[in-house]
Amino acid sequence: MDSPIKKLLIVDDSKVSRMLIRSHILARRPEWIISEAACGEEAIALIDNDLPDYCTMDINMPGISGTDAAERMLSKYPSIKIVIFSANIQETHQERARLLGTILVAKPVTEKSITLALNCFSDSK
Amino acid sequence: MSSLSELHLDALAEVFSIGAGRAALSLSEIVGDEVRISVPSVQIINSEDINSATLSLNNGRFGAVNQHFRGPFNAEAVLLFTEDQALKIVGDMMGSQMSIDELAEFEHEAMCELGNIILNACLSAMADIFSFTLESSLPDYAVASADEILHRLKENSTQPYIMVLHIDLTIEKRHTAGNLVFLLSSASLDNLVSHLDQFLGNIT
Repeated sequence: MDSPIKKLLIVDDSKVSRMLIRSHILARRPEWIISEAACGEEAIALIDNDLPDYCTMDINMPGISGTDAAERMLSKYPSIKIVIFSANIQETHQERARLLGTILVAKPVTEKSITLALNCFSDSK
Repeated sequence: MSSLSELHLDALAEVFSIGAGRAALSLSEIVGDEVRISVPSVQIINSEDINSATLSLNNGRFGAVNQHFRGPFNAEAVLLFTEDQALKIVGDMMGSQMSIDELAEFEHEAMCELGNIILNACLSAMADIFSFTLESSLPDYAVASADEILHRLKENSTQPYIMVLHIDLTIEKRHTAGNLVFLLSSASLDNLVSHLDQFLGNIT
C-alpha cells in the first residue's frame, strides 16, 4: 500500500501564495512534507537533492516560466505529478498543461482549487 | 499613513496578478490570440511624491480610462497607456484592417471597453478574494499629457495616497506598458490594510 506521507513541492514567486497553498494542503493532508521554491530554476535545482511526489507550479515567475520548468522537471523525473496552479488561465496555457500530461488549476487558492489539485494528484497513483 | 509590510504588498501583487489573468483571458477571447499581461509590481506612495518616473511617463500623450469604485473602500482608478500604442491594441481588439485615423473614431468607446475589462478584472479579483463587493461607475476616457496627469494626481487633496501597478500588455506582436493607478483617501487605505490583515490572518 502507498504510504500516506507524500512530498509536495510548491513553486510560486508569491510568498502569500505559497503560504496559502501550504495551509490549505496541510489542513487536508497534515502528514505531507512540504517544500517551497520561489522560481523555476530553484525548483529544478531542488529536486535533484529531494525528489517530491507532487508539485504545484505557478506560470508567471521571474526567470523561466512555470510551464518550461515543469517540462524540464518531467523530462528528468517523469514520476513527479505536477499541477499548474496559475492566474494565467488562457487556452494556450491550458493546452500546454494538457501536453505536459497535467491540468491547469485556476487561482485564487481556495478550498475548491486545492480539491482539484488533490484530485489530480490522487488520480495519478 | 498605514504602513504596508512586504507581505501586504506581496498579497496585493498576487490579487492583481489574478485580476490580470482574468483580463488576459477576456482579451484573448476578443482577439483570438494569446495575450500576455503581467503585474510585476505594486507601490503605494504619497501623491505629493509622484513624478513622471514613478509612472514611466515620457513626453507623449496618454490615454487615461477613469472609473470610480465604491465599497468597503472607495477608489478612483485610472488606467494609463501611451496613446499610439493603445490605439494599436484597440485595432487588434477590433480585428480589422482599419487605419489609425479610422480607429481614432472608435478610440473613446474601444478604450473605455479595454479599461473596463482590465479595471473590473483587477477589482473583481480583489472583491472575490477579500469577500466584499465593489460597485463601479461607468468608465470615462480622456487623452492628456504627462504634465496634465501628474498635476491632477498631485492636486487631489481628498485622496492623498496612490497605489500604482505597472502593467505590461502584449497582444500578438504589439507590446505596450501601462500603469494602473488607484487614488485612495486615508480612510480607504486604512480599510484596505485592515482587509489585507484579515486575509493574511486567515492563513494559518
